[in-house]
Amino acid sequence: MSGTARTVSVNRVDGRLKVTGAARYAADQPVERLGYGYLVLSTVARGTIRAMDVAAAERSPGVLAVYTPFQSLALRGGGNPFSVGHSWLPLQDAEVRYHGQAIGLVVAETFEQARDAAALVRADYEVRPAAVSFTDGIPGATDPGPFMGEPARLEFLADGVDSIDEALAASEVTVTGTYQQPGKHHSAMEPHACVADWQGGQLVLYSGTQSTSLTVGTMAAALGIEAAQVRVVSPHVGGGFGNKIATWAHPLLAAAAARTLGRPVKVVLTREQTFTVSGNRSAVRQTVSLGARRDGTLVAVKHQVWSSQSASGGIFESSAHTTSRYLYKTENLHLDQKIVTLDVPPPTWMRAPGQESGSFALETALDELATELRLDPVELRLRNNATVYPGRNVPWSSKHLAECYRVGAQRFGWDRRNPVPGAVVRGEWLVGMGTATANYPGERFPASVQVRFQPDGDVSVSSATADLGTGMWTVLAVLGAQALGLPISRVRSDLGDSTLAANIGAFGSGATASTGPAVAAAAQAAITALITLAVTDERSPLHGVPAADVRYDQGQLVAPDQRIAFPDLLRAVDSPGVGATGTAAPGPEHGQHAFTSFGAHFCEVRVNRFTGEPRLSRITTVIDGGAIINAKTARSQIVGAVIFGIGQALLEGAVVEPETGRIANGNFADYLLPVNADVPAIDVHFLNHPDLLFNPLGARGIGELGTVGVAAAIGNAVHNATGRRIRELPITLDKLLA
Amino acid sequence: MRPFEYASAQSVPQALAGGGTGTAYLAGGTTLVDLMKLEVMTPQRVVDINRLPLRGVSADRDGLHIGALERMTDVAGHPLVGTGYPVIAQALLRSASPQLRNMASIGGNLLQRVRCGYFRDTSTPCNKRQPGSGCPAVDGENRGHAILGTSDSCVATHPSDLAVALVALDARVRLTGRTGTRDVRLADFYLLPGDTPEREHDLRPGELVTRITVPALPWATRSAYLKIRDRQSYEFALASAAVALDLRGGVIRDVRVAVGGVGTRPWRLPTVEDALRGKAARPEVYEAAAALAVEAARPLAHNGFKTTLVRRTIVRALTNLGGSR
Ligand SMILES: Cc1cc2nc3c(=O)[nH]c(=O)nc-3n(C[C@H](O)[C@H](O)[C@H](O)COP(=O)(O)OP(=O)(O)OC[C@H]3O[C@@H](n4cnc5c(N)ncnc54)[C@H](O)[C@@H]3O)c2cc1C
Ligand code: SF4
Repeated sequence: MSGTARTVSVNRVDGRLKVTGAARYAADQPVERLGYGYLVLSTVARGTIRAMDVAAAERSPGVLAVYTPFQSLALRGGGNPFSVGHSWLPLQDAEVRYHGQAIGLVVAETFEQARDAAALVRADYEVRPAAVSFTDGIPGATDPGPFMGEPARLEFLADGVDSIDEALAASEVTVTGTYQQPGKHHSAMEPHACVADWQGGQLVLYSGTQSTSLTVGTMAAALGIEAAQVRVVSPHVGGGFGNKIATWAHPLLAAAAARTLGRPVKVVLTREQTFTVSGNRSAVRQTVSLGARRDGTLVAVKHQVWSSQSASGGIFESSAHTTSRYLYKTENLHLDQKIVTLDVPPPTWMRAPGQESGSFALETALDELATELRLDPVELRLRNNATVYPGRNVPWSSKHLAECYRVGAQRFGWDRRNPVPGAVVRGEWLVGMGTATANYPGERFPASVQVRFQPDGDVSVSSATADLGTGMWTVLAVLGAQALGLPISRVRSDLGDSTLAANIGAFGSGATASTGPAVAAAAQAAITALITLAVTDERSPLHGVPAADVRYDQGQLVAPDQRIAFPDLLRAVDSPGVGATGTAAPGPEHGQHAFTSFGAHFCEVRVNRFTGEPRLSRITTVIDGGAIINAKTARSQIVGAVIFGIGQALLEGAVVEPETGRIANGNFADYLLPVNADVPAIDVHFLNHPDLLFNPLGARGIGELGTVGVAAAIGNAVHNATGRRIRELPITLDKLLA
Repeated sequence: MRPFEYASAQSVPQALAGGGTGTAYLAGGTTLVDLMKLEVMTPQRVVDINRLPLRGVSADRDGLHIGALERMTDVAGHPLVGTGYPVIAQALLRSASPQLRNMASIGGNLLQRVRCGYFRDTSTPCNKRQPGSGCPAVDGENRGHAILGTSDSCVATHPSDLAVALVALDARVRLTGRTGTRDVRLADFYLLPGDTPEREHDLRPGELVTRITVPALPWATRSAYLKIRDRQSYEFALASAAVALDLRGGVIRDVRVAVGGVGTRPWRLPTVEDALRGKAARPEVYEAAAALAVEAARPLAHNGFKTTLVRRTIVRALTNLGGSR
């Protein structure tokens, strides 16, 4: 069986469940005798809670319990971002580390009762000064130490060159820009939610999570029980974007409270609470200097980054190490990552962590260089296309970035771009075009899948992975169907349960690339098990036939003089089903190549010549992500990612009040996300070149890729339209008015 | 949300009998229920007025009459409004979202509360919500706040788009109370914040808004509402302009201009109108007139751009309407 995927274009197998409301997200799980928990959050940025007055809350109707640092629930563990998203555990001490930190949990008979009682809890703080301003913190920025296997300050210099600044000074042309973007919030449609239900000594936790297995480990450690005593169920996740990898305060408290109260507890964060109780993306400042020859050849790239980090830990934006590190060929490269540690909620992974911000700076700087050189921006990028991974001298397994540019330019009509900024006016609009590169590493993790032939004629394909709306339910069905030569309608996928075949989950855009090869392995193993059953069971018509003479063909076992469909066989032998688990993992070949998905964005914007608002007219995105399994859900991934980038470019940004550390726009009235009217026609094209060095499917992963570079493409188009270079996101009309 | 009593009124007298301090009338509920959930509004009693016969859109010699309980969607789609007063239809269609407009009433729209983030967050002070507690917006996050009509006590913009169009058209509201009925110019109905930002309008306790009347204005057929915002839909205005032009032979015979998103109440601009009246419909004329809009502007730390933006918004609206680009 060849493992390479055949691209199909099919509807989501879980689509009907979703549009009819039958799909059960964490908070939808019907559990009897539920208690409803509501978090109490701090209203100061830093200090110690002297006392909390909970008397009124406890007397409030329906209240079952009020937990605070002074009437606490014992928890332990934590300390790494794969487990708990911050370095402390909730209610274990009276410290306040940021505005909006969980400092209490009220549990009541109804959600409304819990919420109303929570409003009655009073905290008396001993307030200490907090550092919350990113800009003010930059002079005191520190070195985070090595990460991603490389030092924070990384330099490659050509022979005879002493410093990057020397290389820049010697360049025929240089450009330098400082780029800034505010912190951002994942804003998944489904807010963080969980239901903790103890069944005997066993915890069943329904929780929207990208990784049931990581959550099992975290919960077991926090509650002081064995991993085998925890089951995490998460069949549908309404968007994760990286913010549902770590465990946050609510499941820890819900599970501990449920254990103490002896009844299940549900906690759903309000939209406002998600802004501070869960993670975010760092605020970032970057300075990029490029040195080039007149013909556009890059000779020096210097990329300095300052990212906000929380005193409570978390994941900072690693903007240069994920972009300038390898995107272009240059003799001299200098990357420098610093962190600005603040009393703010912890950042965590957020869709294309690092690339999202890094590409904005690097790809804008390239546009500035192209303008300076009077060179077409596409041509400049093609001229500097890297063919081996700089500093490692390994080639890419499969890299078709140049083709992305060629195809994209053609589909978009890039040749119609007027290179003179501000030259194209259509009615009251200034019109411009821009482009940028997308990149995201191919990630692959070990994964197991179980394939099982069922007597009713269906085949189940299951794994403890997650579907964040990404299409994994469908991918399992499609790949199962392909591996077994069956129609998709006969394949039942199952996922999002820690008791299924081991799988780390969905992140790093690696779910399909990791799980897909395991489907083929499991299908093969299941076929072997089916044949074994057929030839060994006395009740089987194939009993006694040498196994080597039996082959599997589209749901049937074929022996030299007979064939039998597997459901008939299973019924004949009275079997409840037969199957096997298959595992796939990256092998040693992985050291010999670099694996990266690439893409190119082209966009047209218009800026009103009176009032300055930037609006998108159209976008073309061409993707080199390896083989595409399901073109329909893949397209949705890219469209969603591009819209994510539109938010980054034009709308999104947390406003942290310098006096209080409060996020002034921490709600959906004030934190602006794109609405349909902001989203133009998006033309997505997949090159669909299988990457067989990466995995037998040839599929690399596309979930995050599409967002990388969008903001730069838009900003570059705004420059082309107006002649204004906006280096601070979001690009709002006030910046274009003057 | 705090517990409250609920009653549904079957007639205007019955509603009035149940009204008064501590009672809120419930129309579409898109402001009221939202703010009750946030505990920004905490009425003890809610009287549902949706059964009252305060409906209908009609026109007579006095002008256009709109019942207070007409829904935004229905008014926006009404032919009398669409042809006679496009500025009203456009102001409504640029507001909120279709779902909200299907629920929200015209009376409720005019009485909606400010969108200031501090007003909506009970963990912060706010003079409007809690008189005397202070106004964090003055020195805090104020990009969306007002530059006209502000005081040290409150700088929140009036949020209604419809009100801007109606003020431009000199509309009146009919207020019905237990002791009788009065008609008030909408422009006079709204109060400046001064030292009492908790008092937003001249509606007495228990009074109902029963209808809106827009005086006949034949040339309002040439009118438009231009709303500028970061996001293309589903957002309040950073600046907006309601403009009507009586244009003959390239000369502005008469004109109405009001702006939104910049004032603590919907802001009519008589000086701008005076500067346009009798002049040729030309860009220099628009620009000179629009400059007068912001003479009294008091920008804050983050909203200084609005002085430019509102001028440009007026110029753009006039240009679109009057031609001569
Ligand atoms: C997400 C969102 C976005 C929005 N965007 C916009 C926008 O872009 N532009 C815009 O203009 N508006 C916008 N709005 C506001 C919306 O238009 C108002 O909420 C709506 O018009 C209020 O009407 P209602 O019938 O729902 O009022 P209700 O919520 O029922 O009432 C509002 C207030 O008026 C009182 N009241 C209502 N009717 C009467 C009456 N007849 N007599 C006396 N008192 C009365 C109520 O007691 C209450 O205090 C938005 C609202 C939301 C929630
Ligand atoms: S601007 Fe007005 S509404 Fe906003 S906080 Fe100040 S007083 Fe309250």
